[in-house]
Amino acid sequence: MREMIISELSQALHDIARGFAHFLPRLIVMLILAAVGWVIAYVLKVALRSVLRLVKFDKLSENAGASQLLTKAALPSATEMLSRFVFWVSWLGFILLGVSVLGILGLQEQVARFFLFLPRLFVAVFIMFFGLLAASFFSRAALLAAVNANVPSPRILSLAVRSVIIVFVLSIVFEELGLAEETMLVAFGIAFGALMFGLAIAFGMGGQDLARRFLEKKIIRRKEEENHDELSPL
Amino acid sequence: MAEENFLTDDFLRQLMNVGEVDILVGLPTHNNAKTVGSVVQTIQSGILHGFPRERAVIINADGGSRDGTPELVTGISIDDMRPASNLNSLRTLHSISTTYGNSPASGAALRTILAAAELLRAKACVVMSPESANIEPEWLPKLLRPIYDDGFDLVTPTYRRHKFEGQLITNLVYPMTRALYGLRIREAYSPEFGFSSRLGSQFLAQNAWNDGTEGAGVELLFTLAAITGRSRICQSFLGEKDSVERRGADLVPALRQTVGALFSTMEPAFPAWSAITGSEPTPTTGADQEVLLEPLRVNRKRLRNMFSTGVVELGSVFQAILSPSTQAELQRIALLGEEDFHYPAELWVRTVYEFAASYQKSVISRDHIIQALAPLFRGRVLTFLMENRTASARDVENNIESLCLEFERLKPYLLEMWKSGE
Amino acid sequence: MPLNSDPLWYKDAIIYQVHVRTFHDSNGDGIGDFQGLEEKLDYLQELGINAIWLMPFFPSPLRDDGYDIADYNAVHPSYGTLEDFRKFLESAHDRGIRVIIELVSNHTSDQHPWFQESRSSRDNPRRDWYVWSDTDTRYKGARIIFLDTEKSNWAWDPISKSFYWHRFFSHQPDLNYDNPAVREQMWNVMKFWLEIGVDAFRLDAVPYLVEREGTNCENLPETHDVLKELRRKLDENFPGRMLLAEANQWPADLRPYFGNGDEFHMAFHFPLMPRMFMGLKLEDRKPITEILQQTPEIPPSCQWSLFLRNHDELTLEMVTNVERDYMYDTYAANKTMRLNLGIRRRLAPLLANDRRRMELMNGMLMSLPGTPIVYYGDEIGMGDNINLGDRNGVRTPMQWNGESNAGFSTAAPERLYAPLIQDPVYGYPAVNAFRQRASEHSLLNWMRSIIAVRRSTAVFGRGSIEFLYPANHRILAYVRQLGNEMVLAVNNLSSTAQAVELDLRRYKGNILIEMFGKNLFPRVGDLPYLLTLGPYQFYWFRLRRI
Repeated sequence: MREMIISELSQALHDIARGFAHFLPRLIVMLILAAVGWVIAYVLKVALRSVLRLVKFDKLSENAGASQLLTKAALPSATEMLSRFVFWVSWLGFILLGVSVLGILGLQEQVARFFLFLPRLFVAVFIMFFGLLAASFFSRAALLAAVNANVPSPRILSLAVRSVIIVFVLSIVFEELGLAEETMLVAFGIAFGALMFGLAIAFGMGGQDLARRFLEKKIIRRKEEENHDELSPL
Repeated sequence: MAEENFLTDDFLRQLMNVGEVDILVGLPTHNNAKTVGSVVQTIQSGILHGFPRERAVIINADGGSRDGTPELVTGISIDDMRPASNLNSLRTLHSISTTYGNSPASGAALRTILAAAELLRAKACVVMSPESANIEPEWLPKLLRPIYDDGFDLVTPTYRRHKFEGQLITNLVYPMTRALYGLRIREAYSPEFGFSSRLGSQFLAQNAWNDGTEGAGVELLFTLAAITGRSRICQSFLGEKDSVERRGADLVPALRQTVGALFSTMEPAFPAWSAITGSEPTPTTGADQEVLLEPLRVNRKRLRNMFSTGVVELGSVFQAILSPSTQAELQRIALLGEEDFHYPAELWVRTVYEFAASYQKSVISRDHIIQALAPLFRGRVLTFLMENRTASARDVENNIESLCLEFERLKPYLLEMWKSGE
Repeated sequence: MPLNSDPLWYKDAIIYQVHVRTFHDSNGDGIGDFQGLEEKLDYLQELGINAIWLMPFFPSPLRDDGYDIADYNAVHPSYGTLEDFRKFLESAHDRGIRVIIELVSNHTSDQHPWFQESRSSRDNPRRDWYVWSDTDTRYKGARIIFLDTEKSNWAWDPISKSFYWHRFFSHQPDLNYDNPAVREQMWNVMKFWLEIGVDAFRLDAVPYLVEREGTNCENLPETHDVLKELRRKLDENFPGRMLLAEANQWPADLRPYFGNGDEFHMAFHFPLMPRMFMGLKLEDRKPITEILQQTPEIPPSCQWSLFLRNHDELTLEMVTNVERDYMYDTYAANKTMRLNLGIRRRLAPLLANDRRRMELMNGMLMSLPGTPIVYYGDEIGMGDNINLGDRNGVRTPMQWNGESNAGFSTAAPERLYAPLIQDPVYGYPAVNAFRQRASEHSLLNWMRSIIAVRRSTAVFGRGSIEFLYPANHRILAYVRQLGNEMVLAVNNLSSTAQAVELDLRRYKGNILIEMFGKNLFPRVGDLPYLLTLGPYQFYWFRLRRI
């Protein structure tokens, strides 16, 4: 009995050792790939960081308002973030490559899917970035215009513009990433449509008088102010 | 080089037929049918009385009018086909017209006029505005004589105005131009000015037509070109400034045209203005500009409110543009009541200089920087009104002069701001 | 060569204006005479002119160069006898040259027997032959013509102790045309000369014949009646003779002098002449086209008379003040040249002796509608002497050759009626007919050729005129037409080369034939006709459809 256990055990050990011996080279390859990947990723990160510094990427992201978001989240600057992002993604890519070498079946499929997903991720980041830029620009433009036209609550208007744009951008990003895309779009559509519908009802029916008085006051007051007591600046 | 393709064949043919002239009057138009007829007649009268023996031509550069403006201008030629009934002229006085585009662009209009002046070898030229309802025939010789007789290169006008009108000029454009470039030119970008062919050709050759000068304030650029090119400049008093354009809502476009042009030229002209300190007076002919003093109702409350609202609501924008101390000061002032309101000259100068520096660095979109200046300007206007409520003409002038000196005094601060963060 | 019998001969005439005193002296007394003039008829025939206008040669104290007449029916002894005149006239007619003489109808010299009688006493039968007054306040509306010498139109006569009327010099009392005897006598004077064979009269100073209170005493209807009467008698008794009016008036005021073809045959177009000079200096055709646009139509039998210069000053009466100042400043900067609201200079000095400008002006003279008059000496480009008083600077002896006295006279130089022009540029050794005849490209030979071209067609003298208005205002262009004959004249008034596009669509299909060289120019098509002209250049083109 004892001998059978010992022989099974030793057989099993033997198998494990053989399996391990089989596996070891692949593991070593994977580690090598990971190391090489780390080096390459690091080089990429440094190179990208220099390039971004050269084109003053930080300034652009400042304009986008992205920098402010980052500082609020106590994150480092945009250049740094992007460089690190590229570093991690590259390294991860190499690691995954290594993992695929290991030959673990299920993983390989996931790895392939990951690599397919990568370009869309980049595009999404890209859209997000420029979306933030546009949102910042247009919200500021709206703010200035409202202030100069003496419209009440300009900041709310500016915020509204920024929100609309960001929501819109987000919905596109989600669609790009393939995350609940239809839901997002539909949600956006519903929200926007509802807003418009609500305003229409408010001004068209329920708040007629209020709207009328509101508009009259706005327009007539504006006209009065414009017609006299105004100097020409030139 | 692009010049020969810029003028159409038809216009070139018209220029051929006019031949060499001594005096050239440029008239940029766009849908001015209401006023252009009487303006052209006044111009003709001015030429025939002021320069009866000289060869003259009126060049109309039109930006795609749809109301028959060009035909109105050319229909008033004086030649043997259309002799002037009441004006006795020795010679033919041509009025020719060309359309430079489908929409008005003062840069393209000026370029057309300068090209015509060069090809026709005009000795003295003047650009007039088709909307001046107050124009008198004497304005022509007043702008032309210093060039024709005394060899000046640029003649800018001065006007009789109400003491509270034109504050963008008296509180910003004039003091700043003066501090930057060292010359006291009151109206640096008026739509009416006289210039010599030498200056016109110089400006034409600079070929600065492709960098957005098609729209904003090309007259200011012209004046600046004259200043930096060390041309001889003088001022000539014309008369009462037309007050048809009394619309306060046009502040932002006015800012873009004047301050925008001023700021945008600071970078390329840096070597020129950075070395200058102080300023010199410009020779002036005719009466010293006069100031009308009759009481004028102004909505001060609105001005104050727009200032305060601006300071508060645009806080995030100002953070990017102004220094923290300036912004803090402004916030303090925004809390003052109407009677205590005071936007001191020194603070105003700092504000403007910080804006100029931020503009140069493009901390945010440059157009947004200009727009952000509007509420602050309104605050300054309010202070100016309050300070000069009962002031005499001389007092107003003295106040403007002291503001100018403040601009000059703080010029090192501008240089400091300009250079930091480079 | 007999004279042609065309009653409208004056429309084809080229007139040569000359004073017999200035032309040629045959008897060595230093003054030109009729025999001398007769000797030079070959020269004139060669030049190509076919009519001579003689300045007054009647007996006269010569205080106004012969315009102060002391005897209407004789010849001043300095110029010869009546017989000399007859012989000259015959010789001229033999060469096909007609003769126009002066009839100074408005006034006489105060030495005339008529005036001597008239002033002798208030009861003299000829008292009313002149215009007398006890005061000098009548006819206040009349302007003074000789502004530089006269202060009033009335002069005091110490003999009859009253004032007499004179529109010109005070020694030229005006005849009184309200008196039928005066009118009768004037006709008799005309008849006298017409019977001798004279072809035409230039009536001097016709606007001023009659005075009326409350008017400016010019161009009055009564004056026209007098003139119409003279014309009627002329037509009845001497058909084919001509009357030429000297009336320095605006074109609209000149029109009545033609009547309905029943008053004057011809009149001088005074206002055009200064404007031709003005257009040249301004380099702008506007003054010329404007005055011609304002010139009214005249009856078909009538004709304008055109000239560049004459014995008088270049008058600036019929221009605006701005124009007069401009002319003074550009043509007579030296104030000595100015006289009586005019400029007393000859053609060549006015044009700075510029051959091109002289050709251009003569070209316009010969192609604008009217009969041209050439002032003696201008065909060789004679100069003037502004230091001779009044208008005598332009009335110096004709320069025939470079020999003594310029070949004008054999008398001692001091005896000449006026000194010769002697400066190096215009003096007779440089400018004279002899040299110019011998030189192929002289002004004289050029004048001969242009006169020949002019005479080769009736279009210039009798045709209509249509102005083209090219956009280039330095070019004066017009088309003359008579029946099917058409001539296009294009003149460059500027001192620089010009290009011009002419709208010749009406004449599409015609070939242009340049009239001096007879070379072909391109046919007129649909496009504007492009011509380029050198400084002061002009073209005459025949339009020929073939």
